[in-house]
Amino acid sequence: MLILIQGGRVVDPTAGRDGVGDVWIEDGHVVAASERKPDRTIDASGCIVMAGGVEVHSHIAGGNVVMSRLLLPDLYVSEAAPEGHPFAHAGGSAAWIGANYARMGYTIAVEPAMPPTNALATQLELADIPLLDRGALTVMGNDDQLLDLLRQREGKAAVRDLVALSVATSRGLGVKCINAGGASAFKDGMLNLSLDEEIPVYGLSTRKIMNALLDAVEEIGVPHPLHVHANNLGIPGADDSFVATMEAAEGRRIHFAHAQFYAYGAVDPANPGTGGFRSAAERITEAMEKHPNATFDVGQVAFGQTVTISLDVIRQFAGRKGANPKKWIITAGDAEGGGIVPFLYKPRGPVSSLQWAIGLELMLLSGDPERTILTTDHPNGGPFTEYPRIIHLLMDKEERDREIAGLHKVIAERSGLCGIEREYTFSEIAQLTRSGPAKLLGLADRGHLREGARADVAIYRDDKNRTAMFARARLVLKDGHVIVEDGEIVDWRAGHTLELTVESDKAMETRTDAYLDARFGAGLDSFTVPDEAFPVSDVFEDVACRA
Amino acid sequence: MAAWVKGGAADVSAAVEAAATLLAAAKTPIVTGLSADTSAVRAAYHLAGLIGASVDPVGGDGLYAELGPLSQFGNLNTTPAEAIGRADAVLIVGLRPWDRPIVQEIAASAPVRGRAAGSERTLLSLGGPGDGATRHVSYPAAAGGLAVSVAHLRAYVKGNLSGEAAYADLGRRLTTAQYGVVLYDAAELGDLGVEMLQGLVRDLNDLTRFFALSVSDGFQGRAVTQLASWTTGQPPRVGFGRDLPEHDPWRFDSARQVAAGEVDAALWLASLPAPRPDWLGSLPTIAIVGEGSADATGDVAEIVIAVGVPGETAGGALWNERRAAITYAPPAGPPADLTAAAVLAAIQNRLTQKKGASC
Ligand SMILES: [Zn+2]
Repeated sequence: MLILIQGGRVVDPTAGRDGVGDVWIEDGHVVAASERKPDRTIDASGCIVMAGGVEVHSHIAGGNVVMSRLLLPDLYVSEAAPEGHPFAHAGGSAAWIGANYARMGYTIAVEPAMPPTNALATQLELADIPLLDRGALTVMGNDDQLLDLLRQREGKAAVRDLVALSVATSRGLGVKCINAGGASAFKDGMLNLSLDEEIPVYGLSTRKIMNALLDAVEEIGVPHPLHVHANNLGIPGADDSFVATMEAAEGRRIHFAHAQFYAYGAVDPANPGTGGFRSAAERITEAMEKHPNATFDVGQVAFGQTVTISLDVIRQFAGRKGANPKKWIITAGDAEGGGIVPFLYKPRGPVSSLQWAIGLELMLLSGDPERTILTTDHPNGGPFTEYPRIIHLLMDKEERDREIAGLHKVIAERSGLCGIEREYTFSEIAQLTRSGPAKLLGLADRGHLREGARADVAIYRDDKNRTAMFARARLVLKDGHVIVEDGEIVDWRAGHTLELTVESDKAMETRTDAYLDARFGAGLDSFTVPDEAFPVSDVFEDVACRA
Repeated sequence: MAAWVKGGAADVSAAVEAAATLLAAAKTPIVTGLSADTSAVRAAYHLAGLIGASVDPVGGDGLYAELGPLSQFGNLNTTPAEAIGRADAVLIVGLRPWDRPIVQEIAASAPVRGRAAGSERTLLSLGGPGDGATRHVSYPAAAGGLAVSVAHLRAYVKGNLSGEAAYADLGRRLTTAQYGVVLYDAAELGDLGVEMLQGLVRDLNDLTRFFALSVSDGFQGRAVTQLASWTTGQPPRVGFGRDLPEHDPWRFDSARQVAAGEVDAALWLASLPAPRPDWLGSLPTIAIVGEGSADATGDVAEIVIAVGVPGETAGGALWNERRAAITYAPPAGPPADLTAAAVLAAIQNRLTQKKGASC
């Protein structure tokens, strides 16, 4: 079927395109303008036409997400659903997640924290998210097998083979490390960890573990750079950890998760624990300019009740005292552990207000929005459904000023937000939410509308109220099929789970099988994610490694 | 023979047709059991959503003794592999965990990972059998039962009680552990006991690392809970009567619903063995049971369909207790003709056709 999207303002920064024009689609892809009569013409006049949104870091599946629903069954509101999908109106469910992303014009979402020990359940859950393509990052950096291999100084090839095997077995799209060594250190009694501190038993440090993983990711040719959740998240002086970690990458590609939570300069560096924090957004921005190898996602805060979900168990254990309501889960898992701590970002609270301001400041200071990706670290900074509101604040200085007027005055005292005049353009929004994250994931046919792109397209009615505009797309196409009309789902199709095609080494398979069998009473087989385990066929789609 | 309708052998298609007819006429149906692989449980949820049924897994009681305190206070847990590989002190609460294979594995090993590696492992019991072949230090339960015993122990650990009592000694052993684990069965301990035990573990973590580990219900309750969470955003015992999932452990307790006469049809899913509810023969019921099991006979329910048993005559994603994860179990031998998921999907398709025809 040949489809013509006609007369919309087409915004594709990767092609330098921002003007009224057409987009042609055939067989699920964007094609060159055709001489033939289209089978369907979509009138997009008065609308903005962009590629589908790409999410790189949102906690949408896995053991901790499951537990968060059991801890807070009423966090999201459920509404009666007389028509359509049976569970899409069930707040927080997989179907609800798919539907809410699709309504906003998003067509891919990546779960950033899949521990290999729980890969099958995570993948089963992801596969139940309708409408979107999905993916998951395989988490490494705290497992005894890896740490022991590093302790024994086995060398780069062994680390590479173990990482490749872990990604292949869990069917991940990339690799992440979360406070590398932190969960192991926590189990051995430590309550904080910085880049070069010694991790008990193994004699390693976060730097050494991360170094090994950075090399392995490059050697394997994983398109997505190592996704790093650094040490010391959320504490005054975390900016030091962030910058030190960036320097430790020594020019290798590195992605930083939820930078906002690290852009906290200590007000009193001599007593970081007591003086509170001020925005370090300028410092982080300068560091990003010096390190073109680095990218980050923001982790913007939105006000209201949420729940923090993280495998950074050291951080979550420290944060348990701030749980609101007062209940929390800490898990000493098979490698990573995890913590679930409910949290309320108080609209007029000084800390929440400052966090909110710092996230916006990071995006507004950025000289390169493609390396500055919009996330709320859902649900840690707030739910992903806040994206339209955040886009509004980025695009509209007056709206920002109105909001700031109702918040705590600490924003003016401890951040530079009030002095920033910048308003994001549609092109920059497309960089922040489309081309940037697609490039980051290494998905060459996503995040743009050039010939050959996937026909994942979002069409928004141009509206000064950007919140309303981006909350309910007028039309969303997934692989060339209309899935959303006027903010409602019209076709409950299933996307695919993107998995990296990666060869694993036979010797490492044999060795790992024996290791796992001794530790779990079950070998590599019990860690696999076979097609037969899924209720439907055609779940996965291959993504190739870099040449 | 794979299917029966009203006691007589039937084609599978006739049984599916009869099942769809039965459910189409029901006003307040229930879907219970759910002792099956995740694809079948998923199909059961979709069917329940379509017909407005409530859902109650057979692991109900133990599951709720866990889920209730979890939603009120949270928890601090670890895994079997971490307990076996790291713990230098393991406290077993009650009698029931002693039947589980993990106790022998804990007793026969010592810590090999983490800061306690190389040290001895102390096995302790509270309210246990107090004898037997496994060497351990035994502390009897207090007069009021297990929950009271745990509360008592907690008071010693917190310093609210002191002295040279046995529990003071036990408390000292816990607080001096480097990686402690307490093993329990939620169904035996009850929700108050679980609440108290998790409180004890919370207090211990102000001093050292200490985690709880509970044995599962044995009927796929942990896998069902995960699937329920991502499917409905809620734990199980959920009702779809009002077109949205409503979570209510009391209202949607199937035994209570049946006793109160609220139920007019039931679907029992147990492709893996599960204790058959006593009302199965007395209500209009569809039973989907494991081929070759004692339940695969025509008199168990109005409609009986026998299907492959996951891990034996069918593949399936199942709760794996030792791994503390959902893992895939391939069929051990030649697969059966039918899977539970396929039968449930066939019933759902028939129902959808019937619904379509009636509008
Ligand atoms: Zn995150």
